[in-house]
This record gives sequence, structure tokens and C-alpha cells, in this order.
Amino acid sequence: MISDQAKKEIDFWVTKYPEGRQSSAVMQALTIVQNENGGSLTGELMQEVADHLQMPTISVQEVATFYENYNHKPVGKNIIRFCHNISCMLNGSDELISYLEEKLEVKTGEVSKDGLVSVKKVECLGACVGGPMCQIGDQYHEHLTPSKLDNILDNLK
Amino acid sequence: MSEIEFEIDGKLVFANQGDSIISIADREGIDVPRFCYHKKLSVAANCRMCLVDVEGVPKAQPACSTPVANGMKIHTRNDKAKSAQKAVMEFLLINHPLDCPICDQGGECELQDVAMEYGTDVSKFNLGKRIVADKGIGALIQTDMTRCIHCTRCVRFGAEVAGIVEMGGTGRGEGVKIEPFLTEGIQSELSGNMIDVCPVGALTSKPFRYEARTWQMNAVETIARHDLVGSNIYTQTYRGRVKRVVARDNELVNETWISDRDRFSYEGLNHESRALHPKIKKNNKWQETSWEIALDFAISGLKKNAQNADQLGVLASKNSTLEEYYLMQKLARGFGSENIDYRLDKANLSIGNTMLSNITLAEMESTDHALIVNSYLRLEQPMINHRIRKATLNGASVNTINNKKFDFNYQTDLEILSSPQKTLLMLQSILKSLHERTKTTVPKYLSKITVDDSQNKIADDLIAAERPVIILGEHVNSNISSSDIASIISEIAALANAKIANLSLNGNSLSAEKVGFKPSNNGKNAISMFTENTKAFLLMDVDFNYDFIDPKLAADTFNNDDVFVISLNSFEDEITLMNSDVILPLAGFYESSGTHINFDGVAQSFSASVKGPGDSKPGWKIIKVLADILELKGFEYTDSTQVADDALSMSSANNNDLVENNIKETDDSKVAVHWQYSPYAIDGITRKAKALQETPIGKMNDAFISLATAKELKLSEGDLYHGVPVSINETVAEGCVFVHTYQSRKG
Repeated sequence: MISDQAKKEIDFWVTKYPEGRQSSAVMQALTIVQNENGGSLTGELMQEVADHLQMPTISVQEVATFYENYNHKPVGKNIIRFCHNISCMLNGSDELISYLEEKLEVKTGEVSKDGLVSVKKVECLGACVGGPMCQIGDQYHEHLTPSKLDNILDNLK
Repeated sequence: MSEIEFEIDGKLVFANQGDSIISIADREGIDVPRFCYHKKLSVAANCRMCLVDVEGVPKAQPACSTPVANGMKIHTRNDKAKSAQKAVMEFLLINHPLDCPICDQGGECELQDVAMEYGTDVSKFNLGKRIVADKGIGALIQTDMTRCIHCTRCVRFGAEVAGIVEMGGTGRGEGVKIEPFLTEGIQSELSGNMIDVCPVGALTSKPFRYEARTWQMNAVETIARHDLVGSNIYTQTYRGRVKRVVARDNELVNETWISDRDRFSYEGLNHESRALHPKIKKNNKWQETSWEIALDFAISGLKKNAQNADQLGVLASKNSTLEEYYLMQKLARGFGSENIDYRLDKANLSIGNTMLSNITLAEMESTDHALIVNSYLRLEQPMINHRIRKATLNGASVNTINNKKFDFNYQTDLEILSSPQKTLLMLQSILKSLHERTKTTVPKYLSKITVDDSQNKIADDLIAAERPVIILGEHVNSNISSSDIASIISEIAALANAKIANLSLNGNSLSAEKVGFKPSNNGKNAISMFTENTKAFLLMDVDFNYDFIDPKLAADTFNNDDVFVISLNSFEDEITLMNSDVILPLAGFYESSGTHINFDGVAQSFSASVKGPGDSKPGWKIIKVLADILELKGFEYTDSTQVADDALSMSSANNNDLVENNIKETDDSKVAVHWQYSPYAIDGITRKAKALQETPIGKMNDAFISLATAKELKLSEGDLYHGVPVSINETVAEGCVFVHTYQSRKG
């Protein structure tokens, strides 16, 4: 269920678009709803977003599956978005991802047992100069090494 | 629009500003390969197969999205174009499974055809192919999404034609999948067209799966006669059976689309309850017999029971052919009986409700305002609804006056709820409002009528429109005031300068009207036959459970031992066996030649696609032989086309007589009932088509009642109303039960 508060927030974004184009607010709406639901979306939530924005549900699903920033499975409190594209890969991102998987005892796409962290492979985040790199929340972490990662993980709450 | 002159493959051609290269190539008979382009859908330009070389442009251009320009020189088959097309083909085949030997599309596959010409026999791609799990999207469409090439024709079809966006492209890049959100089945009444538009074997017909290879079948041009449109179709037959129905282009009738009802109803032909041999009932026991014995038995029974010619009643369903109607009425009149009727489902049989339409199907889409009265147009006349939908896309507005709010696939402005008993009054108010607005004299009988705001708005919208149309649907048939309603609508149309589309004459009713298949000179009609001493019946394709407006009244007569019933029927189910004395097996849809007169008044003749199973014979032949045995004159026909010629040369009875207007006191203290069959239960063959019954539309089974009316009837949610579960719903008019179901009325 989308809360009334979230609906209010969605309606704020709807006002940014011309009348009758409320479906343009679908990305913001999905973000709001996802945040409210602990970081992931469900079929029911997409249905509700579609109903609220008066658009076909499949169109909401199209948007929600196109963009990497929507999750369709439950995620950890922190999502480590690890770049695995060419620059990061040449600089050892694959080894680092394996290191993370071993340390956290998870596979990419899964949530750690304590629910604190999930790991996700993503496409280029535009920080090739600092590869290998990852994004946690709004923060980029560059020139990563195993010890740097340990340090980052220790500081995650 | 200025003429443009340009060259395509060295040929000088002319086109209009904005025409795409591919549309001109098609016109000129130049074959450009394509997958995503479809002449009736928007241009997506995502398959890239139609790349052509335009001189002066460095890269090959997609022919579907490149408009022609003056002086352009286009090459569709030079090295540059060919190598571009081949490169695209190679990419498309990377993930395609190439399982043509087990694919139903094999032999009629656009990908297969194009791959023959543009594909190479060796792929450079040696990694694993993508596979896609099938979700299952209902009973009509088989999905094999691994074969999908993401042309998005089905997605665009849903958004642009069906008006219900059901399929979509989820994911991104190589992970794109074409799928619906819900897995409970596609809801659209036009969904089968996705099979036709799909260029590969990703969407194929589920009932047809593994039934035959496409090259083994014969295609026969024919007509679907479930509705007023008479959609043009091909039946594809294999070893004497109809295996599949696909659409045939006719811009004036069905464009390139057909409804699911027309596409999948053929399944009913192969139903186990088909009547295969003549049967007679002797001493209350049924026995199979030869045609000779059965016909003699029928005629002697008829002569014995109808010693007075007036004791014979002749009834036919609204889906018979022109030829059958013509011969049936000729037989009855030759015998001396005027008791002839096809209007089995109408409550009021006075002459006024045969108001004629004065608009064509093609004109419907250029209307700018439609007033829909008593119709769930989308389900009842899908192709006419499609024309109205196209009109709305061009800005037309739609108002409705219905017993219940319905789910249209376009925006409606004003939806007025009006129970059947209040509909006449509602229309009279609108008429009065129109009189006031056009400053014409208000007739005396309208003086006491009051007018409210919504009625004024309906009148205003009609006057403001330039090309309005008023559509009267089939729900009016159960209304006792239907002839008055029709006459008021005629007056409204005259005042508002609106066209009329009368859809209450459904199926092949216009053929029946054409040959006068109803009583004249005080003959008995489909209601009075049951109340006034009719002793013998000749029935054509009549379903005793479903067809009669008052099934109990009819059953009481048929069950009577004194009454002799000759059934020409394609099916012998329990109720037919119970009520008949002779069953003459009737060739069904597609098994008999015939003629359908459609909404535009066009008589579309068709030949038989296959022979009827067992001993069944075409209706016109059976009636001709019956007439011969009765020694009636004028039945010397050897071919159904001779019958059709005679029938069509009949001067139509003047049907447009309108009854004198006067206000009748309508009894609105009683609750009115409208029993609307689901679109897949309107005739014998659709009811027996299994796949259609498994769709959401086929499973409709609700008696909609408003809360107040339910209290009055002492019904609550889920109770059975004549066998149909009650759904308490505020979208239905007060004082009315709107039953929408596949079931016939019980009890």
C-alpha cells in the first residue's frame, strides 16, 4: 500500500508536468514508493502507481525494469553498486566483487544475512578515472582495494 | 499536399509530402523487407530491416521512417542496401531459435521468408542464445517468446488499435522481453489480431497449435456472420475441417482486423454434440434414420398437426443465411402460413423497431460525436466500436445512455445510467430539450416531460457536432418500449441532423428483414405463436435454451405432446432432443454457401469452406427438399446463388414505418431485467468454441444489481439470480438487473 504521505509527494511531482501528462511523474513516483518500501518494488506497488497516475500497469513495469535504480527483489539497507564495465574490469573489479561476495557470504543480487548490505553489479557510472569503483548511497568510492573495502564495510550501519 | 517526384530503383514515381519510402515502395510493388512496420500501426523503426540506400546520404536509411523528398534517388536492392539488410538480418538471427520445423508460423513466417533471401547459412555468433520463459497469456494466444524479435507490433497494436495496453517491453538491451503485466490472460476482444501482426512464431493461435502445417491448408474466402459487420475472413481447411480463421483485408468492412469471436468460433464446428445423422422420435424414442425417412416423417407430422395452415410456425435464428430465410418464408407462405419470425430475442415485435441505419461503417470513423444508447459496443460489435474509437482518436466525443456503466476503450464524456423502463422517458426529455434549443414546436405529447442538465448537455453535444451519430444497441431488444425508443431516436436524429446506427438488428437480421422473414397480414409472431394454438414448428438453427426472450413460454409449447417440432440444427444437445420430434442435421457456419447482409446493406456471398460432418446438409437444400415433398411450386433451385438472386431481387418491405408517438404509462414499479449474453455466447457455434469460453470475456457471469434494488429483491452478494451470481454494484441503474453471462436463464 502506498501511504497518503507518499501519494502527496507523488502529486507534488505531477504538478511539474502539463495537465494530462501525469504519467511523466512515473520515475519519481517509483522512487518514492521504493524508498517507502525499504528499497524495492513489488507488483502490487507498481499496480498502485499505475492506478494513481492513470496509466497502464505494463507501462509502469516497462519503466521500472528499464532503469537500474529500481529493485524488484528485497535489498539490504545499503546497496553497493559495483561497476563492472571495461575500465573498472581492467583494474580488477571482478576480483573485488568476488572478494565482497566471499566476505559477505552473498552472491551479487543477494542480501547479507544481517540485512545490512546487498551487492549489485551495475554498468559504467562515469568514474572510469577512479576505477575500480562502487557507489553506496550517494557516495562514490574510487581506486578500491580489498583493505579499502573492509574499511568501508566496517563503517556501514 | 504537394506532389513530390522522386526515383526508386530507377523508376520515376510521385508521392505526397510526408509519405514514407516504404509506403510508396509497397504501392509500386517493390519489395522492401520489414518486421516492425505495419501499415495500420505507428512507425517504430526499431527492427532496422527496411534499410535502403538514399543517394547522398552516407548511411542506409530506414524506409519506414524516412519521408520522401523531391529529387530523391532511392535504391532498395543495390549493394549498399543489401549489405545493410543482411547485417541486420544476421543480428536478428543471433537470438532466434531457428526451430522452424516445430513452429506453427513455419511456412507463413516473415522472418523465415526474409531469412531465405537475406540470411546466411553460417552464423558468426557462437555464444549461447537467449531464452525467455513463457508466462502464458490466456486461452487464445500461444506464446513462444524465445522466438520474439522485439518488433513491438503487438505492443503497438494494444496501445493503438485494441485500446488496452496489455503487452509491453520490459527490461533493457539484450534482456528485453515482450510480456503482459498480468498473467491471467489478455482481456481485449481483438487480441487475436496480435497473432496476425506478429511476424514470427512468438504469438501463434493456441487452438490451432500443432493442428496442421500452413502449406497443407486450403484458404477459402468467406464471411463471418456473428455480428452486423460481416468481417471478411479466410477459413483455412485441412482434410475437410476448418483449422483456422484469419483476417482478410477489406477497408470498407473490417480493414485488416477481426474480432476474437470471428477468429476462434470455428472451434464450435468440431464440437462433440454436432448433429451428424437425421433422427426421428417414435413412441418417445429417438432413432437414427436416413434422410428420406426423416423428411417423410417430418412432412407427414407437419401435415397431420397443421391441418389448418395457420397452425404452422416457422422460426429461425438471427444468424441464418439470406438463402435460408428466403426459402423458409417462401415455404411457409406457400403452405399458407404467415407465422414466420426470426426476432426470438425481442420483447416488442411491433414494426417500429426496425429503424434503418443511414451511415456506413467507413463513415463512422469520421463522425465527431457519438451518442451510444443501450449498448456495450466494445464487446457487442467490436469492429464498429473500433471505428468509433478511431473517431475519438481524431477528437470525437462520446456520450452514453446505458443500463450499466461499461468499460469502453476510449474516453466517454457523459455516462448516463438509465434503467430500461426509464430509457424512453430519458430520450423524450432529450428530444424536448432539442426542440427547445432548435426553437421548434414542442409536440403536445412532450408537454409534461421535464428536462435536466445532463439531458440538456446531451442535446447540446448533438447540436454542436457537425457529423453526429446515434447508436442504438441490442440491449433495447428486451425493452417493451423498444419501438417507441426507436421512433424517438429517429426524431432526435432528424432534429439534430444526426445519423442513425441501429445495431439492435444483429447477426444476419438485415437478411431476414430483406426477405420479410416476419409475419404480415395478421400472422403470428415469435411471441404470439406460443400463446395462440400453433401445432407444428419448423425451426432453423434455434437453441431452445438461449434464443427465446421467454424460454419458459417457448418450452411449455414445445414440450406439449400435441406439438410437432422439426428442428434443423447443427447440434443435438439434451434440450434439442427433449423439444424436437425430428432433427435434420444442418451444416453449420462455413459448411454451407450463403449470403450475409451487413451494416452497410452490402450482400456478401460466400461459398462453403468444407462439407458438413456426417450426413448434415446445407439449410437451403433441406428446405428446398421439404418444399418439394410438400409439392410447393417455385423451388426449382440447383444452386444457392439462384436462391440469393431471387432473394436479393425482392423489393424490400417498407420497414421504416414509425409508430405514432404517444406517451404510454411505463410501469416503473417493477424491476426490469436485461439478460445480456457474453459476446462468446450469442450463437450456437460460439457457445461451443472451447477456447473462447476460457477467456475473461467468455467467463463473464454476473447479475449486476444496485444496492437499493438488491434490497428490494431481497438478494445479497453472491446469491444466485436465475442461476447467475449477484454482484452488488453501483455502476448499474436503479430498478434494473443487468445480467451479463454465458449462461441461459434458469428457472
